[in-house]
Amino acid sequence: MLHPDYPLPDVEHPVTAPFWAGCREGKLMVQRDDVTGAYHWPPKPAYWKGDRLRWVETSGRGRVYSWVVGSEPFLPAFAHLLPLVMVVVKLEEGPRLVGYMVSCTPEQMSLDLPVRVVYEPLTEDVTLPVWAPV
Amino acid sequence: MDLFSRIRDQVAIVGIGHLPFAKEIGRPISDTAIEASQLALDDAGLEAENVDGIVMYELEKTHEVTIARGLGVENLGWWDKITYGGGASCATILHAAAAIASGVATTVLCIRARNRGSKAARPWAQERELVTDDKALHVPWGLIRPVDVIGMWAHRHMLVHGTTREQLGNVAIAARRHANRNPHAMMHERKLDMETYLGGRVIGYPLTLYDCCLETDGALACVVTSAERARDLRQKPAYVHSGAQASGPNPTHLANYNTPNMETTAVPCARQLWERSDLKPKDMDCAQIYDAFTPLVILGLEDYGFCARGEGGPFTEGGRIELGGDLPLLTSGGGLSEAYAHGFNLILEGVRQIRGTSTAQVGGCTSVLVTGASGVATSALVMRGD
Repeated sequence: MLHPDYPLPDVEHPVTAPFWAGCREGKLMVQRDDVTGAYHWPPKPAYWKGDRLRWVETSGRGRVYSWVVGSEPFLPAFAHLLPLVMVVVKLEEGPRLVGYMVSCTPEQMSLDLPVRVVYEPLTEDVTLPVWAPV
Repeated sequence: MDLFSRIRDQVAIVGIGHLPFAKEIGRPISDTAIEASQLALDDAGLEAENVDGIVMYELEKTHEVTIARGLGVENLGWWDKITYGGGASCATILHAAAAIASGVATTVLCIRARNRGSKAARPWAQERELVTDDKALHVPWGLIRPVDVIGMWAHRHMLVHGTTREQLGNVAIAARRHANRNPHAMMHERKLDMETYLGGRVIGYPLTLYDCCLETDGALACVVTSAERARDLRQKPAYVHSGAQASGPNPTHLANYNTPNMETTAVPCARQLWERSDLKPKDMDCAQIYDAFTPLVILGLEDYGFCARGEGGPFTEGGRIELGGDLPLLTSGGGLSEAYAHGFNLILEGVRQIRGTSTAQVGGCTSVLVTGASGVATSALVMRGD
């Protein structure tokens, strides 16, 4: 049962809705520029520079770029996850995403640890992409 | 002549004032902000009737007109609120200077009054609604507390450059030793040594208790006017030499980890600051580098050009950042040990150093760097004395 104060994301925001829709379908999506091929993160509006950005599926793999560990006392909504290893993951495609680790203790963490995305359904609408060691 | 040339040494901070810092001040800021402003005007030898502009932080929980009425300002002709919390600190002075140099205003009050000492007042204890915009890309994973958001930069720096706990401790101890000299500092009577620092409880690994700033109620103000007017006033002027604001590339509200090499906003801010300055980092007699957390100071030493990338940790060693060292930092005790006022106390301390009235006075100090929070869109200032 999700804590009533869990800070759920607005998954209907027009700029980020495709990201959250992808998560519900088990796809980790980021934007790529049609013209330069560059990946964009955080997302921009779809109409950016004449509709150049496409949502594309990533490999869902990356490496640990940095991490911090939350332990008691922490926000009550996350109590079931403590110690919570919050992480910045650098995707193979380049963007750096914030997430948290599963199936991994703080002691098992290391810089550049290879990780893969795992999906954590929180509600009917919200599926959170989180990370596990490869 | 461009605006920055017209600002350079032609605008000055001429008055400073603050109420005693407290854990709970017990007064609304619509009251304390007015008193702090009056103290700053008294310090300058100016009257409310001289004021025609006010700059505050966007976070301010009162109104310019409330302050103007409380002081007896006849007419406000210009006002401004600056966004991004501690990133706004130096920008208040820069905007005031720009208004004065361009003729929009003549004498401006810059104010920060903040009641956030008590736990319930902290915004990250209040996440309740659906999280939207930029925050939706980090808050749902628990990355909410400032200590964790900044911890990402800190930990990467430790992992990549080998920055040690002891080096972070050097920052905390330098700030504390300076606070021990400052009777206004919250930590005036509390000593801190390395053993105590290293024994501090974990707040958000890798950061511990003494890496974190205080939480304080406070009310502070500065008076800014032209250098010409400053010459007739009571205090030795602290001239605004150079100032900058920067969002950096690909900015987000917080937790912006998608900049080149995850650099903070201080990197583009420093570039502009020094481009607009006749002075260089080596000319600074001391620096008040924004210190919500100790690693921001180590990053700031690198970002503002005092040492190369990765050398911020070793830079703190051998007393170099304490009074008597090459570059004393946080000479009032800073956010770590004087008071946390979103960096506005660092500006007041910069002015004291220029005047020669700091409780940790650097001999012959004529040039001071002051910086704002670098985890968000930020600002910085170089002050100069005669």
